[in-house]
Amino acid sequence: MGANPVTEAQTAEADPPWEGLHGPELFEACLLAARAGNRLAMNRLVRELTPLVWNVARGHGLDNHTAEDVVQTVWLALFSHLDRLREPKALAGWLVTTARNESQRANGRKPAPVPLTDEMAEAVVSTQPAPEAEALRTERDRRIWAAFGKLPQRCQEILRLTVLAGRAEYRAVAEVLRMPRGSIGPVRGRCLKTMRDLLDIEGGSA
Amino acid sequence: MNETRAPGGAHHHDDEALLADLGRILDLVDPPPPGLVERVQFALELEDLDVEVARWERPDHLVGVRSSVDQGTITFTVSDLTVMINLTRTGRCHRIDGWLVPAGEHGVEIRVAEHGSVSTVADEGGRFVLDEVPRGNTQIVISVAGFGHRTVVTPAVVL
Repeated sequence: MGANPVTEAQTAEADPPWEGLHGPELFEACLLAARAGNRLAMNRLVRELTPLVWNVARGHGLDNHTAEDVVQTVWLALFSHLDRLREPKALAGWLVTTARNESQRANGRKPAPVPLTDEMAEAVVSTQPAPEAEALRTERDRRIWAAFGKLPQRCQEILRLTVLAGRAEYRAVAEVLRMPRGSIGPVRGRCLKTMRDLLDIEGGSA
Repeated sequence: MNETRAPGGAHHHDDEALLADLGRILDLVDPPPPGLVERVQFALELEDLDVEVARWERPDHLVGVRSSVDQGTITFTVSDLTVMINLTRTGRCHRIDGWLVPAGEHGVEIRVAEHGSVSTVADEGGRFVLDEVPRGNTQIVISVAGFGHRTVVTPAVVL
């Protein structure tokens, strides 16, 4: 991943129209340029918004490789039908919706999807990386990750998107999903409460 | 336990703190895989983006096992078209034996990142062979015979 400073410097020569923009304004400027066939603009959008599509796919319980297929399919679908997206401001919402549809389609190909109760979900092998993932250095982080993995899938997706929507560069996501910043709606509130309860059960309060 | 919480307020603070922790943890534990952005960008480098995207049909026993393949058969499908390829390692390259269903003299282009592309045409039975294909991020582009202008592409995969 990581931006290559040399390439950046070279391509910045002709100062693209999205130079210096952030968040929704950046996406809109890139989308307009992409429509005109600007490949740099497409690449920029892919770099900025792949985490969004990734989190939707992973939030649907897809394993890494299926989630990666979904990410590629969503981007190819966007750029092969750019004219279908009439309103550039709708980009983030389009990506989320398309990623959800693709994820459900990918889930549908798995054998016999059994409707899960929350209790059953706990018993099912998780597609999340193991909670003891090396990166998690503190006991508290490991407990939070374990509790998150036990949440119903719907909650996992909502909380992933809530986290992204809380970041400045994903303001557009908050608007699309009607998640005003600094306010936690009832559904998210319930998901967070479930997560806190799980943390309490695991010992100690969060 | 014994904390008194102002209605709404303290809870809200807890929620924000928990979300902040979750965000930090997700970044650490579950970021998009390395190279994914580059694979998408490579897949989008097509001349003409008026394409249909075939999906990789992974057999269940491979689900979650690996994202790259160095031997064996891979199947991609889109609507009525199926693309099957079989890989055989030949030193630093591989041979790709392919089979397209429904059969037809479809155009086949195999793009490999930083190695340009190789092309051939499938025979009447829908079969094609490409020798000495470099390994790396790979995308297959099929020009479907008899449809005027219909192009099917696969996602970029590491072969």
